[in-house]
Amino acid sequence: MSRKLSKYFFNFVCLLVYIFLLAPIVVILLSSLTTTEYIVFPPEGLTLRWYTELIEHPEFMQSFTLSIIVAFGTAIISTAIGTLASLAVVRRQFKGKTAIVQLVGSPLLIPSVVFGVALLQFYSWIGLAASPLALILGHIILTVPFVMRLVVASLVGFDRSIEQAALNLGAGPMKVFFQITLPIIKSGVIAGAIFAFITSFDDLTVALFIVSTDVVTLPVRIYTYMQYQYDPIITSVSSIMILFTVVLMLVIERVLGVGKVFSSKN
Amino acid sequence: MQAGIGTEHDLLLQQKKKNLNKKRLDTWLLLLPTLGIFIFFFLLPLFFLFITSFKNFDASTGVGNEWTLQNYIKFMSDPFYLGVVWRTVKIALLTTLITIMISYPVAFQISRSKGRTRNYLTLLVLSPLLISMVIRCYGWVILLSNNGVVNNTLLKLGWIDQPLTLLYTELSVVIGMVHVLFPYMVLSIMGSLEKIDPSVIRASQNLGASSFRTFFSILLPLTLPGVFAGSVMVFSLSVSSFVTPAILGGPQVKVMSYLTYEQVAVMLNWPYGGAIGFLLILIATITIIAYSKILARSEKGVAIQ
Repeated sequence: MSRKLSKYFFNFVCLLVYIFLLAPIVVILLSSLTTTEYIVFPPEGLTLRWYTELIEHPEFMQSFTLSIIVAFGTAIISTAIGTLASLAVVRRQFKGKTAIVQLVGSPLLIPSVVFGVALLQFYSWIGLAASPLALILGHIILTVPFVMRLVVASLVGFDRSIEQAALNLGAGPMKVFFQITLPIIKSGVIAGAIFAFITSFDDLTVALFIVSTDVVTLPVRIYTYMQYQYDPIITSVSSIMILFTVVLMLVIERVLGVGKVFSSKN
Repeated sequence: MQAGIGTEHDLLLQQKKKNLNKKRLDTWLLLLPTLGIFIFFFLLPLFFLFITSFKNFDASTGVGNEWTLQNYIKFMSDPFYLGVVWRTVKIALLTTLITIMISYPVAFQISRSKGRTRNYLTLLVLSPLLISMVIRCYGWVILLSNNGVVNNTLLKLGWIDQPLTLLYTELSVVIGMVHVLFPYMVLSIMGSLEKIDPSVIRASQNLGASSFRTFFSILLPLTLPGVFAGSVMVFSLSVSSFVTPAILGGPQVKVMSYLTYEQVAVMLNWPYGGAIGFLLILIATITIIAYSKILARSEKGVAIQ
């Protein structure tokens, strides 16, 4: 009897935690539908007005496009160079390997705000102005550690006799890489790319220091907008971003399976 | 004849050496892009900021020409700034404790579930990681503001007469941080829960131990490494996090990361901002080192993971 009771209590506690997790997201989605001029929850009346009003705010669309470009650039470059470096780290013996592994992993330990400040100072010294490239370079630093963790994990325990077989059969090293190695470590590489994309798309801290008045990523745009205004526009922009993420996840689920992506993470 | 063998042998050796050199060369080629970007856009900038933190402040250019320790001395001798350090650590500690308490049951439930349910629960727990942190924090602004959801509900229920000040307090920062960092803890605890043989739990129950007893004598000790690893991750992430305190605390709840931002972006005092930043790195690093020390020690006593 008491065991059953404690089980109910346990499930109730878990339910509360799930509500806690979803609350801020649900609140944003629903309050974007309000007819009032201010944010209110639960929404009063239902309207899509705040979505159509976005047309009068082209700056959000510009920022969205910029964020997508930066995130794509970051994901592609980070994954490419991170995969190459992982190959060297896993398969080759060389001097200073530990130091290099530590260097590449250290952005996870350095607070992004300090890195952002350092990068801003450096950019202003070398005269690199705010641009997609400037943002991508910063985001590569933030994302390579993740990419390398995932790719290294999928390279460890890789049966190299398959590659040797292909080499013996006369395939060139390039062909071996693209036709044998890459397909086998695919899930790690794709998980790395997705992680890099999301991290870059989400980054506020580093971008906050690099952006200028013309080059503003979406998180920075939202952050600065909500410092001054409290109207439901923000909730509709945020809802679109949430829906965008959900769609992205569904696509990934279809193509890869979410379980796969996350299981390769551990 | 003998000479022929000799040259063949030499040829083979040469070939081997060539291969080795070639291998060494392409090892560095593989590393070059990553290493180059890290040296130029990570090490150098941080190194320059480190140097800047030992310079004096110049109102016109930001960075002066004189060398000084003043930035560090100023920070460590001023009660206001020490208060900020204490607040940063306090918020991180609270966040870690609360995260442990709410992640444990969830991790346990997920590790016990199977098939579909398990996939959905995992997705539910991890989904916050995929949604922009700015947006999640903004959701909390709507929930916690003076005429927000929480206050309105409490007013309607008649539990309070006046709206409580929830937003821009240490409480709101802690709530936001717990929400952001929760998935890391769940993953970490789940990792060690899954290594426990279910028969151990059944044995304890069959021998008549209460759920309470089973938890404290069996589950908790066996999952401590996971809890510990998760705690360090959550602690160090929350000490250095910027987005959550900036949105849910703002200037009212200054933590070290916000102070760094403010000194550089508002006061334009680069040297001082740099010094605060490096002290922040110091705190985060000390945590990690202390953690690996403790972990190494406990590994001798208990078999970990």
